[in-house]
Amino acid sequence: MMKILWKLFVLPFFPFLLFAQTYNISGRVGDKNNAALIGVNIVLTDGSSGTASDNTGHYSFNNLKPGEYTLRFSSIGYKSELRKVAISDKDIVLNIVLAEEAVEAGQVVITAGKYEQNMSELSVSASVMPADVLERKNFISLEDAVRYLPGVNMTDDQLSIRGSSGYGRGAGTRVLLAIDGLPFYTGDTGQIIWESIPVTDIERIEVIKGASGSLYGSGAIGGVINIITKKVSDKPVTYIKALAGGYDRPKYKEWDWSGGYRYFNGQVISHSNSIGNFRFTASLTRLEDESYRQSSFYHRYLGYFKGNYSLSPTSSLNFIFNSMNQRNGSFIYWKNSRNALVPPDADQGERIKSNRYMAGIDYKNIISKDFSLNIKAGYYRTYWEDQTESANNSAANVYRGEIQSTLSLNSSIVLVSGVEASLSDVQSNLFGSPASGSFGVYTQGDIHFDIPLLVSAGARFDYNKLDTLNAFSDFSPKLGISYSLSDNLKIRSSIGTGFRAPSLAEAFTSTYSSGITVKPNPNLKPETNTSFEFGFNWNILSSVNLDAAVFQNEYYDYIEPGVDTDGKITFNNVVRARIQGYELNPVFHVMNGLDFTMNYTYLWARDIEKKKALKYRPRHIASASVTYMFNSFETGADFRYWSRVEEIDDELVSLGLVPDGELRDNVYVLDLRAGYDFSKLRLPLKLTLTADNILNYYYVELVGNLAPIRNVTLSAEFVF
Amino acid sequence: MIKKIIFFLPLLLLIAGCDKGIAPINEVEETGFSGTVTFKGTWPADIKRTHIIVFKEPVNLASDFNILNLGYIGKEIPSGVPSDDYNTNQDTSYFKIQPGTYKYIVVAQSSTEKVSLERKDWKVAGIYYSNNNSNTPGTLTISENTMVKGINIICDFDNPPPQPPGGE
Repeated sequence: MMKILWKLFVLPFFPFLLFAQTYNISGRVGDKNNAALIGVNIVLTDGSSGTASDNTGHYSFNNLKPGEYTLRFSSIGYKSELRKVAISDKDIVLNIVLAEEAVEAGQVVITAGKYEQNMSELSVSASVMPADVLERKNFISLEDAVRYLPGVNMTDDQLSIRGSSGYGRGAGTRVLLAIDGLPFYTGDTGQIIWESIPVTDIERIEVIKGASGSLYGSGAIGGVINIITKKVSDKPVTYIKALAGGYDRPKYKEWDWSGGYRYFNGQVISHSNSIGNFRFTASLTRLEDESYRQSSFYHRYLGYFKGNYSLSPTSSLNFIFNSMNQRNGSFIYWKNSRNALVPPDADQGERIKSNRYMAGIDYKNIISKDFSLNIKAGYYRTYWEDQTESANNSAANVYRGEIQSTLSLNSSIVLVSGVEASLSDVQSNLFGSPASGSFGVYTQGDIHFDIPLLVSAGARFDYNKLDTLNAFSDFSPKLGISYSLSDNLKIRSSIGTGFRAPSLAEAFTSTYSSGITVKPNPNLKPETNTSFEFGFNWNILSSVNLDAAVFQNEYYDYIEPGVDTDGKITFNNVVRARIQGYELNPVFHVMNGLDFTMNYTYLWARDIEKKKALKYRPRHIASASVTYMFNSFETGADFRYWSRVEEIDDELVSLGLVPDGELRDNVYVLDLRAGYDFSKLRLPLKLTLTADNILNYYYVELVGNLAPIRNVTLSAEFVF
Repeated sequence: MIKKIIFFLPLLLLIAGCDKGIAPINEVEETGFSGTVTFKGTWPADIKRTHIIVFKEPVNLASDFNILNLGYIGKEIPSGVPSDDYNTNQDTSYFKIQPGTYKYIVVAQSSTEKVSLERKDWKVAGIYYSNNNSNTPGTLTISENTMVKGINIICDFDNPPPQPPGGE
């Protein structure tokens, strides 16, 4: 016990007691053509540190004490490499060439368990989208990217993993989104503001689909998306991206409201550098979109800063700052199907102004090879106002803090424990001036046995107080296993519970807009769920991998908006829901340079009491992607399909609020892309051309909202 | 030749597959009603907005003044005008009028800046009466693809109509 107390309370503040002279390991990661590989995960296998290659393929580990280290290099599409190095009295330079190999999903590093581990060790289903995929598809907003993740579908801006969410405008999310582990949802509506995250600064997107409540608490009831930002380079690197594009004109002349093409453009400038022990990346993004719809334009500025200050050989401070300033139009529903790209007359000319700022700090201290400590604090301020007749506005502050320890009790047990607290306050003419607070304590142990079995067991206790609502607490346990039946076949299973506290918006909204009155519900309770899944990952051949899972989620007191007896919209604990389904995710490495991936999800999402489908849940979700790379040229296609949703907000249609709102169909979206990297010609330039919705397929995700029509984007990226 | 077919077939399929999905629903014959609102007397000074409001059922209780009972809210009628010609298909602010029977058609005025669905915020300035029966509010039946004309309403500020319960 004394040893643990020593580790917890003494060593964090006097780390110099442990170490003295230190050295660095650095180098470059490239492919067989010597082109830089960006975003390659590089970890010290003792678990003490991890990083990723930067935009020039370089990486570094600093302040390492003399000794032997094993580095693992891994990246989707490449064969992992293990390299041992010994540091005696000088820095080490280690350059690596990774060979292509499409199928090695298990080597992908993920932080689902709040520490870096191989995806194959997880007892829950997860997937990763790395930076190179984000770049080659020219995504402007994170919201566009997550539509391509397996098992995920979006209804307008609301994310659903395995059917966890339908649609509630301005209501909270059932998926927790975190940036480098810091939760990132607003204090008033509990929403994810996708557009405020600069895509070019993302190293990878991790999606955790199974039981996550035991580690992440409220908000993770439907899964977790963790955005891992790019590591800060200690070498001067400047990155510039410019993009421009336009929307095609619609086929139907009734829809051609502007009589011309509509354009968008964007610019990103980013610089990384170091001053002594301080390394940083700062970026500024400007985006402008005229939009294919009337009154749906935006002008957006994103600021981003990430800093790393090395306090000692084993401790560091990481800073992150993110801002978004945006002016945009408001398009809630179409006027009617003949005016599908035009809002109703009453909504014409509405504007929204929003300013959002997030700041976070993360103190990491590797006290020993067995014990590390993380202390995180975050602040997120959001302010927005609109120019509707209600002149809605809201200012919200969220303060968060977390202390987490990672302890290797011996070589086979990793124990992650922590405490977390948050406070929110709101000033709004929509929600009033409510405040909320929450506190959570969690622990999870991953136990490796001599046989290839990993058992993951954990629990979390949460206490929440939402202004005048009754305080409530929740206990969320989880049990999971991961077992290797052979070198090529791993099975996993997990069961756990979760809960979601109502957002302030769900409990306290009082407004009127577009003919709809929303009233508060002071009796709202948290919703809870139990989730179960069983899955396997099978390397069928050296070039074929299949990941599959069956899952069942039971939801209780599910919060949904509905029309009350007085005709006003309110949020209620009305639904007892069951969501069952399965997923198939095969990956084919057809030949060198040619890869093919597919995802299929079957969803059976039912309101058990009403015996009908939950709103906005397609029964079939599928996607496919093919990529061909030849030297510096690459091309590919991406296809998405989801079946016609059975249930929508019928009230909006029957009341005549959304004329022709019943229109919906199966969705087929095909995107094409091509890119050329000029770095072999000694030009630090990459050009990418994408054509999204090339078939110009007209579809809606949300009632009365036509999704983007065919559009083309050309981008140029410079790294020097 | 076969190579050309193999090359061009995907292109042809691509072109053939374009511009599918949902399409505009053909405009049908107009469904709704039109007429003239005539104002007599001096407009009250505290009026902020004036609308034609159509209810499916009579407003016998304050709680009948709710969104489920609403059939239509017309455009805002400018304050101070002596009369206003309206057409529900051209002037809809929020609701598209649906075929059906409507039992309470009024011109209502509010002293609030925002559109409110609180009964207390409204005063009825004029009621539609059919067949010159000024004792019972007129019933209006709208059939599919039919435009009912001549739904005229008189608002006499010096002689206001009976107010439904729930007002101030």
